[in-house]
Amino acid sequence: MMSHDEMLDNVAAYALGVLSPAQAAMTARHLETCEQCREEYRFLRPAVTAIAYSAQAEGAQAPAIPSALLKARIMKQVRATTPRRFPMHVWPAYAVAAACLALAIIAGAADFRLNARLDRDRAQLAAQAAVMADLSAPDSQRYAFAGGQVFTRGERLYIAMHDLPQPPRGRVYQAWTLAKGAKTVAPSLTFLPAAGRVAIVKLPQNATNVAAVAVSVEPVGGSKQPTTKPIALVRI
Amino acid sequence: MEEAGRLMERVRARDTAAFEAIYDRYHRLVYGVALRVLSDPIAAEDVTQAVFMKVWSDPTLFRDGNFGAWIARIARNRAFDVVRGRALHGESEFPASLPADDTLEDTALAHIDAAQVRAALGNLPPEQREPIELGFFGGVTQEQIARQTGLPLGTVKTRMRTGLRKLRNALEGVLTL
Repeated sequence: MMSHDEMLDNVAAYALGVLSPAQAAMTARHLETCEQCREEYRFLRPAVTAIAYSAQAEGAQAPAIPSALLKARIMKQVRATTPRRFPMHVWPAYAVAAACLALAIIAGAADFRLNARLDRDRAQLAAQAAVMADLSAPDSQRYAFAGGQVFTRGERLYIAMHDLPQPPRGRVYQAWTLAKGAKTVAPSLTFLPAAGRVAIVKLPQNATNVAAVAVSVEPVGGSKQPTTKPIALVRI
Repeated sequence: MEEAGRLMERVRARDTAAFEAIYDRYHRLVYGVALRVLSDPIAAEDVTQAVFMKVWSDPTLFRDGNFGAWIARIARNRAFDVVRGRALHGESEFPASLPADDTLEDTALAHIDAAQVRAALGNLPPEQREPIELGFFGGVTQEQIARQTGLPLGTVKTRMRTGLRKLRNALEGVLTL
């Protein structure tokens, strides 16, 4: 049988988080019934919190401060999961970027199995950062159409669409490009909207050779020529 | 400066500016705890990111009390999860998480000067300070500390409690209660 002094030692260890799970559970039960031990716990607990603060860096002490990029990374994730609050007809670059991040990160944010998830997130973030850099770059060209925008930056070509419903079963969306000087469109990628009814697709064509981009609904696998009226058509 | 509890109310309403204020105020604490536990700056950043995304994705987890104490506990527990994942020792030997019983939580600690805390810790006799720091940041139980040091378990327990009480008394003028 543990003496009360020994129990007080355990209360200190409990506050410090150094008891085994079984001992911690026993001590927690004891605290429910012993006012003296509760008093000891209340007294010691701020010291435990202070120990945590002892690890906090002051000023710009390196290496005990995280990199400046960490905040940017976190705030990007946060903003990507923030509900949109702009009118539906406005679809600026930052919304494209936020939606882009939201595609892959929302699910990960609630999942804290760190090792696997963080590796995956890093790869996603790297790819998405490249897309975001293009979409938000001041030198990117934007061509709006109802329901989205086409972006070009140098030779890279993107189509971004929002509020895009899932197509009927057996159908996909297909992008088309019209080369400069050509009279008929050429087939490009097929795609489906992601969560949030957003689609951001990097097309493989060289943007400097493209005069127009269109999107139509086609059978799964795509078509060689559009079989339905385009739902989007933009000249660039 | 807006009180952390009020900021968290705004975070619950998906206010990114409030979240940013929380980050600015507490990221050094979270990262510092993670770095002390993991001794790995990259892993500590990963933990910091995970902790703050947890704050954002599930802000109702913080109910009341001292936010710094709460988030430091989350950071320590998360860092220990990473240590567990590295399988340095078996789950059964790992200490329990810091208690999260809000009814017994210290409620204020509005201002803590980390340098003063470090000074107060430094003034403890090594035989008291070392097991406290090893236990808090090292993720080891009292039994493991006793085995590592060759001291009787009762001695380790008493030294920890004595050191913690001394620290608490030394911080009386530092902690804003």
